[in-house]
Amino acid sequence: MNEKLAPIISTIQILTTIDIVTARQRGRELAQHHGFSKGEQTRFATAISELTRNIITYADKGRCEFYSYEKENYQIVSAKMIDHGPGIDNPQLAITDGYSSGSGLGLGLPGAKRLVHELLIESVPGLTEIKISIKQKKVMINGHN
Amino acid sequence: MQKIPILSLNSVFIASIQTELTDDEILLFQSELLEKNHQLNPKGIIIDVTSLDVIDSYMAKVITDVMTMVKLQGSALVLCGVQPAVSSTLVDMGVMLDSMKTFLSLDHAFNYLTKTENAVGFS
Repeated sequence: MNEKLAPIISTIQILTTIDIVTARQRGRELAQHHGFSKGEQTRFATAISELTRNIITYADKGRCEFYSYEKENYQIVSAKMIDHGPGIDNPQLAITDGYSSGSGLGLGLPGAKRLVHELLIESVPGLTEIKISIKQKKVMINGHN
Repeated sequence: MQKIPILSLNSVFIASIQTELTDDEILLFQSELLEKNHQLNPKGIIIDVTSLDVIDSYMAKVITDVMTMVKLQGSALVLCGVQPAVSSTLVDMGVMLDSMKTFLSLDHAFNYLTKTENAVGFS
């Protein structure tokens, strides 16, 4: 399935810090459902935890959408964090290793990036989208998916 | 709101975190622990995280903070039961719990704290 057309499996509104726990649990369940290892589940869930916390801290509220799809024999599970906050200056720099916002807090983006296979970021004032994905080779049974 | 029970065994506090906690619950736990520590002057405190599948940077910071606070009060806090996936995740994120004394199991942590020479603030 084309990843652009992949349906949203579920959406979790991120309004309070309680929703951080709900979102990361949903992410873990989804990764588990698709047969990802315990280590991958934990890494994915932790990355969701970090990024949804950013939503609360910097944008007040937002949402987390979950996707799963297949691409070139890989099973992919994604979470997309969306908010309408002030946005991130120079998003590509913000995900570079060693980058810190200078306040000492940082966004934790390089850390979250290291936990997943892919982190994509698009940010302008009023709309920030961060998509993280984990992937693994699809298990073939008798030559069929 | 969930409360984490703080048990006392041979004057060592044991708090086992069994479920995922919200920020409010973690902060409640922190203040309760400090209050109880102040009142009852234990040999030390063990926080057990065996059941925790996720320790994010916020949780790690709260745990490190509470250890520092307990130390200021003149007591010791140790951690036990960090899961393999959690330890690798924390290191990959760049969150190091270097300053924490950690143990594989509750047994080891308990033995450590009940040795008089290791119990801070106990005479």
